[in-house]
Amino acid sequence: MSALEMAFTSRVGRKVAARAGLHEPPVLRRGRTYPGGPIVLATLGASRLGADTLALLGRPYEAPVIDSGGDEVPGYGDRIGALVVDATDLNRLSDLEALRAVLRPALRGLEASGSVVILGRPPAGDWEQRAVTRALDGIDRTVGKELRRGATSNLIHVDPEAGPLELASTLEFLLHGRSAFVDGQTWTVAPAVDTPAPSERPLSGRTIVVTGAARGIGAAIARTLARDGASIVAVDVPPAGESLAAVANEIAGTALQLDITAPDAGARIAAHVAGRGEGLYGIVHNAGITRDKLLANTDAQRWASVLEVNLVAQMRINETLLTPGLPGGLIDGGRIVGVASTSGLAGNKGQANYAASKAGVAGLVAAMAPDLAARRITSNAVAPGFIETDMTARIPFVQREIFRRANSLGQGGRPIDVAETIGYLLDPASQGVTGQVVRVCGQNVVGA
Amino acid sequence: MTAATVTLDHVPAMGAAFARAMVPTHRAAARLPEATVELLDQRQDPERLAAYSRVCGFTLKDAVPPTWLHVLTFPLHVHLLGAHDSTVRLVGAVHVSNEMTMHRPVRADERLTIRVHADRLRPHAKGALVDLVGEVSVDGETVWEGISTYLAHGAHTPGLPEALPRLPFSPAEPHGRWRLGPGLGRAYRGVSHDPNPIHTSKVLARAFGFPRPVIHGMWTHAHALATLEARLPASYRVSAGFARPIYLPGTVGFRTEHHDAGTDVIVTTRDGAKPHMIMRVTP
Amino acid sequence: MNHTVVVVGGNRTPFAKAGGALREASNHDLMTAAIDGLVARYGLAGTRVGEVAGGAVLKHPHDFNLTREAVLSSALAPETPACDLQQACATGLEATMYLANKIALGQLTHGIAAGADSTSDAPITVSGEMQRTLHAASRARSAQARVKAFSRLRPSHLAPLAPRVEEPRTGLSMGEHQAITGTRWGITREEQDDIALASHRNLAAAWDDGFFDDLVTPFLGLAKDAILRPDTTLEALARLRPVFGGEHGTMTAGNSTALSDGAAAVLLADADWAAEQGLPALARVVDAEVAAVDHPGGADLLLAPVAATGRLLARQGLTIGDIDLIEIHEAFASTVAATLKAWEDADHCRSVGLDGPIGAIDRSRLNVTGSSLAVGHPFAATGARIVPTLAKLLHARGPGSRGLISMCAAGGQGLVAILEAV
Repeated sequence: MSALEMAFTSRVGRKVAARAGLHEPPVLRRGRTYPGGPIVLATLGASRLGADTLALLGRPYEAPVIDSGGDEVPGYGDRIGALVVDATDLNRLSDLEALRAVLRPALRGLEASGSVVILGRPPAGDWEQRAVTRALDGIDRTVGKELRRGATSNLIHVDPEAGPLELASTLEFLLHGRSAFVDGQTWTVAPAVDTPAPSERPLSGRTIVVTGAARGIGAAIARTLARDGASIVAVDVPPAGESLAAVANEIAGTALQLDITAPDAGARIAAHVAGRGEGLYGIVHNAGITRDKLLANTDAQRWASVLEVNLVAQMRINETLLTPGLPGGLIDGGRIVGVASTSGLAGNKGQANYAASKAGVAGLVAAMAPDLAARRITSNAVAPGFIETDMTARIPFVQREIFRRANSLGQGGRPIDVAETIGYLLDPASQGVTGQVVRVCGQNVVGA
Repeated sequence: MTAATVTLDHVPAMGAAFARAMVPTHRAAARLPEATVELLDQRQDPERLAAYSRVCGFTLKDAVPPTWLHVLTFPLHVHLLGAHDSTVRLVGAVHVSNEMTMHRPVRADERLTIRVHADRLRPHAKGALVDLVGEVSVDGETVWEGISTYLAHGAHTPGLPEALPRLPFSPAEPHGRWRLGPGLGRAYRGVSHDPNPIHTSKVLARAFGFPRPVIHGMWTHAHALATLEARLPASYRVSAGFARPIYLPGTVGFRTEHHDAGTDVIVTTRDGAKPHMIMRVTP
Repeated sequence: MNHTVVVVGGNRTPFAKAGGALREASNHDLMTAAIDGLVARYGLAGTRVGEVAGGAVLKHPHDFNLTREAVLSSALAPETPACDLQQACATGLEATMYLANKIALGQLTHGIAAGADSTSDAPITVSGEMQRTLHAASRARSAQARVKAFSRLRPSHLAPLAPRVEEPRTGLSMGEHQAITGTRWGITREEQDDIALASHRNLAAAWDDGFFDDLVTPFLGLAKDAILRPDTTLEALARLRPVFGGEHGTMTAGNSTALSDGAAAVLLADADWAAEQGLPALARVVDAEVAAVDHPGGADLLLAPVAATGRLLARQGLTIGDIDLIEIHEAFASTVAATLKAWEDADHCRSVGLDGPIGAIDRSRLNVTGSSLAVGHPFAATGARIVPTLAKLLHARGPGSRGLISMCAAGGQGLVAILEAV
């Protein structure tokens, strides 16, 4: 720890920082919890999508307060928990005024850790329609930045062929505290067959492999998925075996000590799963390493080791596990989740190798998605921003504090935030979500 | 008056500070030390951890018990209450309750940054209550937090006296019995480095008003936790209220109760009629 | 036997030399670690296992219920019963057979056999005089009587006694016994060093291959066997001074097992039950035989497994040629060499009641992933180390592959078992 960090984190330091305008960040609502206040649904047009999806989730909703456009903003009285805007019928630039009119009162009326969810359509149609689509994106990101006290805003592109069943898990996730650190993001829900409705323990009876599960984010992922009912195969390198065994025993899963870069890693995972008489429902490629150096100082070994662990190994393992009919391989309707990084999407000084590998993960999941559609296997990635772990703790203090504060929520995320997002992508009800990269970054200023 | 963080370059020797902390001060109003004291990047001593585990009844594992982390913060408690600007002294201060949060398993090979400050001086019918707030972090990640509440007898601080929160107790037949040998205080001193002679010396125990040496509350706390060891989750909160001292040698009863909020271990008199310590673990 | 008993798998801590990385761990700590790793590998956390049987050779008085106490500290359900067993260096294998027999009889569906030993934490006892004095003093009703009891003590009675390492009936240590056996069988220094070298090379290669990834779980920061010297050479071994058999002796620290710390555990199950539970099966436990020799009468202390091997093969209608892989516990390299010579020696085999020689073996089938010389030998753990190691090797060779385990033990005893891949 540096002298600066000591001064800053001391009680006096905190007081000084507060006077300088650096407030203690809000405590975020987390877990499988809906907001305390009511959910407000604003439908801009004739769409039934938002209403039907909320009905499917069993959530009552209220009508919005609409701003008349004057100086006086009508208020909500008691704070509202969430605003869902069904803008799927919104096609004309002039219609954006209707969006402004429902957002303005809500921005002031939203409770701490509340959510704004805007439902739009994927880019399509005439010039104006496409301009509107991008406009929604700009609005969402701005709302995310203007909201205070840990509230978030996200935009979902719902394919015209997709219905409430496909949308339900995504809307549930965004209203839940599970999405606490997902802010200012946009992703797409596509049509899918045989999508089940969301449930409390969606992963019950399903076997999921989590790599890098001995500690940090990986351990949080294993615990969270186990909470949602999954039977976990916790994978980590043999030297981490004791921590791995403790994690596996805590969640009544199994431990598999394995170097994922071994050529037969995929086969050994399959053998372990098959040995347990199970089929593999999902794999979470969380294992990753950093070997940071400016590119000018990066030798071939540093380059290769990061790419090998973070990208090449998971591609090889996927290929093995996707072998049709392989005992212990991925079943039809299964799930692949990669872990990318905002550093990969935006680039980060000193991390060319890491950025390459993590951007590669985003590319890989997008590329696999259409090819796996026939087997109803989805492939997605999360891209964590600044998450408080032992790995990020090695970042120098000033840089770390800047990273922490450089997002709309004014704080670093927690491993559980990444884990919950992965749980959402693994949910059988998320059948319509594939080829997507969801950033878990609190709307970090870095990256797209 | 401004407070600063005082970074110590080694674990403070407890002898001198302890002696100072034992000297009562006579001031009208109690005052707490303002500074936060800290130790940076401390290596854990595996041999002492093993000895600690033996004395308290823990199985030696890679992950350390939370009470061990408390032991590592204790020299800073002594240092703070022995500080010149503190009028609240360890002498006559009784450890009445303790609360710890284990945020994640901590491994024995991790280097720890340990910080302690005093907080929340508040009146009590018999004096004043003060919290010694500890935090253990690994590379900036907070892994453990502890609040040790002491009752400083005879200290004065303005305000309405506050009662200590008590976990409910009802007498019941113990599930088991612990026999505490006469050498236990000495054995625990060897691993905790707590030099307070009331735990080891008959004469000095009497001088402080105890008929016999008293076992450290934190040993009782640790031993109660050790009875649950295999059933503890990876992260949890544990609180303990110390109701009455246990004299050495001695025999006490204990029982375990599972309920919705968590698990309690209740250390009682041999017949289960009165509590010595009530501990509650909540996931 | 009514039920087929299979080895599901195993787990052990890495082994370390006495006073090494595991020196602070007690038998209890070690055994708990071995069980917890096994529980994690097979997803048994919170479940009630039929029975856990295990033990330690060097036990403290408070270890009287070692295995049950370890179960209570482990992630297993507290309703898991356990008992302690002890058969010297063959404890782990004896515990395996105890549970295998219960499973075969239908008394259990599954169980865990375990063994642990800490030579770093070996019990130091007081002299017999001291012990009697203490008992007398505690019985004494008056202070006077207590003083009188203590007055009988002499300074020499106060000296602590290290655990006895010699055979009670011969007064010879195991190494001294083996030195006599080695001379009798003409075992050379070179033969012994070759065996030691092979042990280190085979073990090192197995570690490099990741063979132990699903057999070992790190403990207290130690991830690999600490006694292993992958780079040792015949020249280095040849430079070591003899430790047994006088100055012309052939037994050195390099070709004798080191005092070690460690623990191991094996998961055994009824084959049908394992299949129902979705647990893998590596090998079937076929049969076992125990034997003893009259070492006070001059027999070779550590060659009891020879008779056991012959009787076991005969009962199963097998010859040594039917065995694909052989594990001979390397108490000393000299023990392995003498055992192999005795197998080929018709006279010796007849003298222990066999019909004829057991026969010669292909050395490439012996201890193929190393044995106690390189791994170490925490006494009670070794049997529970070898069983899953051999089961995994046999499984890799394919169904029907057979393996034989030969273990010598103190008191002139030997235990031999056969496994067959499923």
